[in-house]
Parts: sequence; C-alpha cells; structure tokens
Amino acid sequence: MSDTFLELATERPEELMELFATRGWGDGLPMIPPTEDRVEAMLRATSGDPDEILYQLPPRLGEVTRRAIAVNAVLAGASPELMPVIVTAVRAIGDPLVNIRGINATTHPTAPLVIVHGEAVTDLGFNAGHGSFGPGNRANATVGRAIRFVLLHVGGARPGDGDASTQGAPSKYTYCVAENLPASPWGSYPESIGIDAPSAVTVHCAEGPHNIHEMWHEEPELHLDFIASVMAPMGNNNALASNGEYFVAFGPEHAATISGAGWSRRDVQNYLFERARRPVREMRAHFGGGRAWAGWVEALDDDDLMPLTGHPDNIRIFVTGGPGKHSSVIPSWGGTRSVTLPVEA
Amino acid sequence: MVQIYSPEGTAGEPDNRLTSSVPTLDGLRIGVLDNEKPNAGLLMKRIVDRLVERGAVAGPQQTKLEAKAYLPCPGEVIEYLADNTDLVLTGSAD
Repeated sequence: MSDTFLELATERPEELMELFATRGWGDGLPMIPPTEDRVEAMLRATSGDPDEILYQLPPRLGEVTRRAIAVNAVLAGASPELMPVIVTAVRAIGDPLVNIRGINATTHPTAPLVIVHGEAVTDLGFNAGHGSFGPGNRANATVGRAIRFVLLHVGGARPGDGDASTQGAPSKYTYCVAENLPASPWGSYPESIGIDAPSAVTVHCAEGPHNIHEMWHEEPELHLDFIASVMAPMGNNNALASNGEYFVAFGPEHAATISGAGWSRRDVQNYLFERARRPVREMRAHFGGGRAWAGWVEALDDDDLMPLTGHPDNIRIFVTGGPGKHSSVIPSWGGTRSVTLPVEA
Repeated sequence: MVQIYSPEGTAGEPDNRLTSSVPTLDGLRIGVLDNEKPNAGLLMKRIVDRLVERGAVAGPQQTKLEAKAYLPCPGEVIEYLADNTDLVLTGSAD
C-alpha cells in the first residue's frame, strides 16, 4: 500500500525530481507535479469511474485505475485531451495477449509501442509525418511517456527491480507514433484487421525501429528484399519464437513505390513471409535449448528455409513518416501479441 | 506546501502466499520446474543432487511444456508438481 498524497515545499521541478529520485520513481527527466487540480482536469477528459480497477499490473500488481493513469499522464506532461488515447493504450496493455508480465520482467529491451490511428491523429496534434518516431511533438512524446510511467510506478517495472532489461532502450523513455493515413496507399491498419472506428490505438511490445534505407529500386521485389533482410537476423526474439509479429512501418515514398507497381498490402505480406527466412541447418546449429519453435518448424528438414514467423498475417503494415527513402521493421518480443482497440475513455 | 498524488496508486494483494519453511530435508521430495532456459535444468538438477546427499528425495523434473520461459506455467504442470513434491526448484534467468 502506498501513500495517496505526498507533500512538496514548492512546485519547483528540481524538488519534484529530488523527491522522486529518493523513491526510485521517474525517468530522470523533469516532470509536472500531479496536483489535485491537474489530475481532476485529466479525469474530466475521460468517462467512467476514476477509481474503477481496470486490472492489476505486474510485477507489483498495482491497481490500474483512470485516476492512477491520470496522475502519471500529468507527470509525463500530457494534456487532458490526450487522456482517451492514453487510457485506451493502458487498457490494451492489460489484455492477456500482450503478456505484460513477461514484457515488464524480461532481460530483453522490449517496450510497448503505441500507434495512434484515425481522427485522433489530426484532432489531437500527433505527428505522423517528418520525424514521427521523434523527437519534437508533445502528443507523441507525452503519450509514450505516460505509458512508461504507468509501467514504472503502478506496475513496479523499475530497472533492476521488476524490469530486468539488460541494457534498457531509448524506447523505454517514450515510444509512440502515429499512422500517416493520407500517405497510405493501403488504407488504415485498423481497417485491415477488421476494426472500424474513427480513432484507434495499437499496442505492440517490441524492439526499437530497425531502419531500412533503400533508394535504388522501383521493382517491389528488390525493394522488399531489403526489408526482409532486416526481418531475419538471429538475434531478435522472433528467431526463437516462430510465431512473433513484425510491424513494418513504411515511409510514404517506399509505400508509393511498391503500391505504384500494383502491389497490395497482402502482396507485401506474402512476399516478406517468403523472403524473411534463414536456413534450418544454420538455425538448429545456433539455437539449442530454450527455443520456442512450433512443431511445424521442428518438422522442417535441415535443407529447408525457415520463415522467421509462422504466417503472413503476423507481418503488419502501416505507413508513417515524411519524405525520404526510409522505412522501419519493428520486431516483437516474441511471446506477445499486438492489440488494437477503438479509442474510448 | 504543495500536495501531489503518489504515482503508484494502490498495490493489490498477490494471489498466493509464501508457505512456511520446512524444518528438515529428511524425506523431502524435491521437484524441478524447468523453464528451458539454457542450462537451467542442469543447474537445478545438480542442486537436487546436493540436497539428496543431505537427506532429501529426488522428485519429478518437469518442463513448462509449450509455455516456455516467457509464458505462465500450465495449470496441469503446477497441479502435478503440487501432488508429487514437497518443494520445487524453479526460475532461471538468461
């Protein structure tokens, strides 16, 4: 049980940082003091009982409530109109498919990536264009930071104590991006998986973005071979999980090149599924006990090529970013599934 | 003075409680729940061997089946170990 209220002599940011440092709280950066007025302003932007327990967040088993979310959203510097997006992302994290206990505790540098879709992107001022993964946009930065604060404070996922990540990651400060729907030739990601809502949030627990710089080819195959090569290293967890997801964040120019050749989203998924592979013989030589391969993988011959994920549907595509010949592959932690929810408060 | 909310909220009660320690190893059935991290099973088996030298009895060595290290252990494995052991060794990081 923790104290509901604490006292500061002043609202000086240095004083708040010092208090938090003594308790192992915060992310080392300045924060906004979560006074009652500020927290109430956050809660007015949501609906539902502020003290309804949405779920318990491991490893500390802290009770996730809208009030606890609001406190951490204030700390992160979020504005009240962002609360529905933040609450939706926190609700998605509580889905058992995400496996947040594993995500918080692992030695891997995984962090929840929040992807914002639809009207919320423009209505709430998210950045889906130049520099969409950062830095420089308050909505992107503070939503991702609010999520991290919930995991740190409510969930107890502190580095070395609850969060065993060997090296951590920059994405553990904040990790939020917005879908650039006007630049997508394939429609929105939520619609592609059957979610029809004005605004939606996806949570994908993953590594940081792995960049692909490809500026030479108009042919989709040659272009996507670059992406497939980044999907198939032995060092990412999808190599030992056999059914992990990838999000492929296409830059607008790459998306236009591939779609301009007549390729659909499904065509891209199928091609990457076929090309993101490694020799079974090599994989067996390098992965001994502890691998989590499905039975169909174990049944492959040494001379076969092993797909790094079990189905094209595990390769999830959206568009983000501005001009330039870059895209990103975002491999999952492996033992987790992404969750997409319509935005609700 | 300025009053602020604690960011932690309230912690819930854990689902389970720790049992009390056993006073002696004599006849204690020691099981192993292997999460299949590299060398985890080997390490814990050797611990069992040392405990057997001191009077314990080697119990079943179980794996987490398909769940592997990053998922909760299936209930049937937990039940089997609960029925057939007095103490279980488990948990190994990378």
